[in-house]
Amino acid sequence: MSSDPHRSRPDSPPSEGLTSFDEDWTQLRTLLLAPEQTQLDELRERLDNRSVHPREVSLVLPEAFAVRGEKDQQLSNVLTPYVEDGFAAAVRKSPRAIVDAIAPIMRPAIRQAITRVLRSMMQSFNQSLNESLSVRGLRWRVEAWHTGKPFAEVVLLHTLRYRVEQVFLIHRETGLLLHHVTVDAAVVQDQHVISGMLTAIQSFVRDSFGASQDQTLDHFQVGDWTVWIEEGSHAYLAGVIRGAPPATLREDFHAALHDIHAQHVDALVNFDGDAAPFKATQSHLEGCLQAHHESSWPAGTSKVWMLVGLILTASVWLGWIAYQAHARWSELVTKLRAEPGIVVTVVRSAWENYYVKGLWYPLAKDPSGMVIDAGLDPSTVTAVWSPYYALDSQLIATRAQSILQPPNTVKLTLEGETLVATGFASSEWVREMRRLAVFVPGISRYRADGLVTPSDLIERINRAEVRFSSGSSTVEASQRAALGTVAALLRDLDQSVSQSGQWVMLEVLGSADETGSESTNIQLSKARADAVLAILEGERFGQSTTITTGIAPGVKQRALKGESAGQRIASLRATLVPSTRGTEISRP
Amino acid sequence: MMQKKICMLGGFAVGKTSLVRRFVSNMFSDHYQTTIGVTVEKKNVTVDNRDVMLMLWDLYGDDEFQRVRDSYLRGSSGYILVMDGTRKVTLDTALALQQTAARTVGAVPFVSIINKADVRSEWEITECAIEQLRERGWPVLFGSAKLGQGVEELFVTLATRMGNPSPRSTDRS
Repeated sequence: MSSDPHRSRPDSPPSEGLTSFDEDWTQLRTLLLAPEQTQLDELRERLDNRSVHPREVSLVLPEAFAVRGEKDQQLSNVLTPYVEDGFAAAVRKSPRAIVDAIAPIMRPAIRQAITRVLRSMMQSFNQSLNESLSVRGLRWRVEAWHTGKPFAEVVLLHTLRYRVEQVFLIHRETGLLLHHVTVDAAVVQDQHVISGMLTAIQSFVRDSFGASQDQTLDHFQVGDWTVWIEEGSHAYLAGVIRGAPPATLREDFHAALHDIHAQHVDALVNFDGDAAPFKATQSHLEGCLQAHHESSWPAGTSKVWMLVGLILTASVWLGWIAYQAHARWSELVTKLRAEPGIVVTVVRSAWENYYVKGLWYPLAKDPSGMVIDAGLDPSTVTAVWSPYYALDSQLIATRAQSILQPPNTVKLTLEGETLVATGFASSEWVREMRRLAVFVPGISRYRADGLVTPSDLIERINRAEVRFSSGSSTVEASQRAALGTVAALLRDLDQSVSQSGQWVMLEVLGSADETGSESTNIQLSKARADAVLAILEGERFGQSTTITTGIAPGVKQRALKGESAGQRIASLRATLVPSTRGTEISRP
Repeated sequence: MMQKKICMLGGFAVGKTSLVRRFVSNMFSDHYQTTIGVTVEKKNVTVDNRDVMLMLWDLYGDDEFQRVRDSYLRGSSGYILVMDGTRKVTLDTALALQQTAARTVGAVPFVSIINKADVRSEWEITECAIEQLRERGWPVLFGSAKLGQGVEELFVTLATRMGNPSPRSTDRS
C-alpha cells in the first residue's frame, strides 16, 4: 500500500527531507502517468474551449442530417430557402451548366409533348378535311356555327369512337392526386377535388355493398363519358373516356399502373403529400391518352396527299410562270443593253413588277416596242428614259438618213467617219447632200462618186442605137440586149426624177440608108422606130416616162445624097421636161 | 406543393359545412354530402413560408341515423372536431368521433373548435367541460361560422400542427 502516492503522501512526516521526497514523488508520477496526463489536459481544453472544429463536424454531419430528417421536417424547412437562393444564384451565374444538367430530362419530355401536339393537329386536320365537303360535313358545319365550337372539334366529336380525355393517378389511401394528364380539348374541373370525390365514391360503394378492400368500383358511366378505374396496391388510375373504349385499352391502363408501381414503389409507400416525384409518371399516363375515330387513316391521308399534290402542282406552275417571266425580262434587258442608242443604268425586278431606267436616243429603236416584242405585259414594266445623243455608227447612218432624206434610189453607208452615197439621185439632191453631209454629227467626210445623176443616165441612153439589116424593120436578137440596157437605164432615170416633178421624154427616131426611094425610106424609118417602141413598151417603166417615135431628121437628105449603110438604125433621144408639158405629149 | 387530407368531424348541424364554406371561396356542391356522406373541397394555405394544399373532407354529421364512415377517415393527415356550444351533446359526439378517428388513422394532429361563439350566452358547454378537454390535450378553439370568427385560424393551426407535430396535439387518453 505504500506504493500509493495519494495515500502515503499525507502520512509523510514534515521534515527537511520532504523536499527531496516531493521531487522524487513528482518524478515518479511523471514517469508513470505522463500519457494519461496528456490526455486529461486535452480533454480539459476541449471542455473549456466550446468552439466547434469543422473537421469534427464533418465526421458526423451526414449522419446528423439523416437522423434529423427522419425525425421531422425542420431541417428541410431551414435548408429550403438557402437551397433556393443557391440554386437561383447558380442559374444566374452559370445557366449553361443547369441546362446541360436538366437537358437529358427535358429533351425527351419536350419531344414527346411536341409529337403529341402535332399528332393531335394532324388528326384534327385530317378529320376536318375528310368531312369538309360531305353532306354531313355541311350539317356539322351548321352545328359548329350554331354552337360556336370550332368545326374541327365538331367533326372529331361526331367521328369519335372513343377518346381518353383525362387520366388521374390517385393515392389510394388518402385520395390525393399524384399526377394528372389531359387532352387539350377536354374540359377539366378541379382535378384535386375530383380525385378526392372519386376516392370517396369508391369508399361509399365499397362500404354500401360490404365489399372487401380489394374489391373495387371498376367503372361507371355518365352520359357520353365512362370512367374506368384500374386499382393498384398503393395508387389507382382513373381514366375519363368519351365514347365506347375497347377492352384492350384496359390492358394498357393495367400495364401503365404496373410500371408506375414498379418504378415508384418507394415514393408510393412513403407518400406524405408531396406529389413532386410523380411528375415522372407523365409518359406512362400520356400513353393512356388514346383515341380512335371512324374514318380510316388511309382515306384521310390520301386526301391530304391530294391536297399536298395540288399545292405542289400550283407551286410548280406558279414557279414556272415566274421563271418564264423572269427569263423574258432577262432577255429584254440583254437586248436593251445591246441595242445602239440605249444605255441601261438601273434594272430592278420584283414579283411580276419590273423597273428599268437609262438613256435613249430618240432615233434608236423604241424600247416600249421591245417590251411588247419580248412578250411582257407593258403594264408590268416601268421604264424611265432620258434622251441623249448617241454616236454609234449605226445611228450615224440613221441620223444622216434623217437629215439628208435621200430618195429611195440612194443608199447611204458609213465607212469609218466617211458617208458613202450610191444609187441614183437628182442633181439638186446631190448638190444638197454635198453641202449638208459634213454637218451631220459623226460624219467628217463624204464620197459621192457612186451616185448617178439624170444627166449621166440621159447621156448613156442617148448614146445607144439599134441597128437593122438592109430593108428590115425587125429588131434582131443581138440588138434586143442593147435595148434591155436602155430599158434599165430608163427605169433608173424614171425613179431618180419621179420626186423632182419632171418627166422623162424618150424619142425613138428611125432612119434608113440611101438605098431605095424616099417614101420607102420614110416608111421603113417609121417602122423601125415602131419596132423599137414595141419592144420598149414591153418593159415596165414608172409613170414619169413617156416614149414617142419619129423619123430622124436627115432621112430625106441622106436618100438624096445616097449616104452609107450605117444609117440603118433607130436612135434614142431622152430629155427631161417639166410635168406640165409631159401631159401634153402624145404619140404621133 | 404538399397536399394534406383533413377530415371535418362533428355531430349533426354543428356547422362543419358552414366553416368550410367560410374557408373555401368556391365550394363545389354540398349535395354530395347528403348523397354519399362527404364533400371534398380544396384550399391552399401558407404555413412557415410553405404552400400547403388542404383537401377538406367534410363528412356528414354523425347522428343516430348515419354514422361516419371509417373509410372516409383513412389517409387523413389531421382532422377537425367541431362542436356546437349551444348543444352539450355535440361535445359527447366529438369525444366519440375522436376515439373513432384515433382508432382509424392513429395519432395524427387534430384541432377542436366550439362553434357559435356569437351566441356565447346560450352555450350549454361549460368552461369546466372545456377545461377538461384541454386537460385531455385537446387544442380547443372558439369560432363563429356565422361571423367568420376563428375560421382561418382553425385551419392554419391544424396545418401548422401537421407541419410540426407535437405530442400535445394528440389525445393522451
